[in-house]
Amino acid sequence: MLDQLGNGLLLGIIISVASVALSLLYGVTRIVNFAHGEIIALGAIATLFFSSPLDYRVLFLEKFSPLGLNFAISCFLAIVVCGLFGGLLEVFLFRPLRKNDVGNIAVLVVTIGLSILVRHLYLLFATGKVQNFPLELQRRQTYLFFDMTPRNFNVLIAGIIVMIIVGLLLTYTRLGKAMRAVRDSEELSSVSGINSDNIILITWVSSSMLAGLAGIFQATINDVRWNMGFLILLLIFAGTVLGGIGTSFGAMVGGLMIGIMVQVSVGLPFMEGHTEAKNAVALAVMILILLFRPQGIFGKKERIS
Amino acid sequence: MTSTKISFRFMFALLVTAFSIYLVFFLNPDGALRILLNLLTFAGIYGLSAIGLNVHFGWTGLLNFGHASFMGVGAYVTLLLMPHAAGREGEVTTTGLPFFAALIIGIIAAALFGLLLGLPAIRLRGDYLAIVTIAAAEIFRLLVRDLESITGGVYGIINYTENFQKYRPLFIDNFSGNLGFSPSQAWVCLAAWVSIFFTVLLLKRLTNSPWGRALRAVREDEDAVRAMGKNAVWLKLQSFMLGAGIAGLSGVLLAFNYGSLETTVFIPLLTFYVWAIMILGGVGTITGPIFGSIIFWVIISETDRLAYLLFENANGQQLAGVRFLLVGVLIMFLMIFRPSGLLGKKEELLLDVK
Repeated sequence: MLDQLGNGLLLGIIISVASVALSLLYGVTRIVNFAHGEIIALGAIATLFFSSPLDYRVLFLEKFSPLGLNFAISCFLAIVVCGLFGGLLEVFLFRPLRKNDVGNIAVLVVTIGLSILVRHLYLLFATGKVQNFPLELQRRQTYLFFDMTPRNFNVLIAGIIVMIIVGLLLTYTRLGKAMRAVRDSEELSSVSGINSDNIILITWVSSSMLAGLAGIFQATINDVRWNMGFLILLLIFAGTVLGGIGTSFGAMVGGLMIGIMVQVSVGLPFMEGHTEAKNAVALAVMILILLFRPQGIFGKKERIS
Repeated sequence: MTSTKISFRFMFALLVTAFSIYLVFFLNPDGALRILLNLLTFAGIYGLSAIGLNVHFGWTGLLNFGHASFMGVGAYVTLLLMPHAAGREGEVTTTGLPFFAALIIGIIAAALFGLLLGLPAIRLRGDYLAIVTIAAAEIFRLLVRDLESITGGVYGIINYTENFQKYRPLFIDNFSGNLGFSPSQAWVCLAAWVSIFFTVLLLKRLTNSPWGRALRAVREDEDAVRAMGKNAVWLKLQSFMLGAGIAGLSGVLLAFNYGSLETTVFIPLLTFYVWAIMILGGVGTITGPIFGSIIFWVIISETDRLAYLLFENANGQQLAGVRFLLVGVLIMFLMIFRPSGLLGKKEELLLDVK
């Protein structure tokens, strides 16, 4: 059970980081981004691309690869790539859509199309193989109650630190306040001198960078797959909805709870021999939450029907 | 909208469809007929499913992204009620209902699943409903995969096609023998297009009935419908059941076309295929998805060859990826530049969250 709790914390922190990113974007732009998973996968795939050692020709892009950079530098570059990707999406796709008053539902369908497109580009260029970061194997150690490898423990700590930093930035900086102002009313914030286009651009970039980081975490603990983003996307939605969509603090807690729920449910007596269905538990919880408390645990009541 | 303008659109859609069928003959000098049969079978089945989706989204404005699960419920219930073999050991069930009884129960089951999934639709706004329906469809798929003792799990269901093929009329065998078709697929193809014909007939009646008008009124202004004393909630649920039942029928046909059924058929991508077809044909129209489906499948089936030319050292999985990639591009471009598709009317589209 404790093992599962440890795994749950690890999965939870990944979902948590990704959920904050999704929730931030939804809060400011009202876009339900189905392509969020693909930005997560980009973080992992770009890291693999930068860090693959010289005798590790696995990517389809082998004319350029392998670069064999230091792993930490690769992670940093990958996050920058994700931020760039998010920024380009905003400037060339979503800003024109917003200027033309394309409705929310149309934009939602566009993000679905985008997700399918980008995911299969990964399949084409990064192959369908399951790959791992070029890191050495580690032995499990005991931290407090949990058995995990030192690397996974570092991921856990890094995730918690990132969460705290994001929370502080949103609460206390001018930028965070501006983001919350645009979320509450784009028109009113424009009137008070906030350039809402810039704020939305910054939101896209920072949300994508956070998503890329979540992807690196996920790939460090598990592996790199072309469809890793879509596999985890529904759990991220669940985490976001559970905490209250549009609230950053709620998304943190919601994501953590979903991660723990998924992994701990494996150990429950009635789930014995049904490990395949563990994700179904989290999704069912999400549907129940939406039915009975649609604003989530921490959300403010608003009309959503 | 004047009637001449509508018929112009209709002619245009017809021309594009005819051109895409011509393209199949042009690109495949030999074996074009066989490719066309395969394509028309899939087009019929997916078109039927898209007609069902159009009842949800086009008529009522319900953002349903769990359409694959309706098809899945219809297929699984129908197949499991008939003689079949399932699971790792291929456990044989020899007793069962005749095809038509099983089919009707399957369609009713799909409609009831639609009712179940429709319950959140009463309470939730569009974008939330999208998340709930896609999640519910995944729950269905994960459960079917998990309950191996009943559904065969990842090993699937086999040996069920005879239940349907034994009704195959003799003329299909003669006809197929001459043209080099597979008679069983020709029978599924015929069944799919007959189903489309009767579904369209039914929906044409419904759309001009008071019920159909009330349904479209729900999409336009729910409060006005309430003020008129109609039960908007029940109308939405009825729409969910009708569309789900149609999808259930198409799921059964899909199972008979494949010849074996696994859970991987009902992944979310199936839903997105149907969405692409519906948007291409025209949201809110009845016949639009038929044209959309034929054009879509011509594009899809001819892409494989193009992909093979472009990426010579890609493997099978990657080549299959190219067609999905194209589906993504199609959905994006249509939604941005022509959300009403070939036949739809822009003013009948519900694209904003109320």
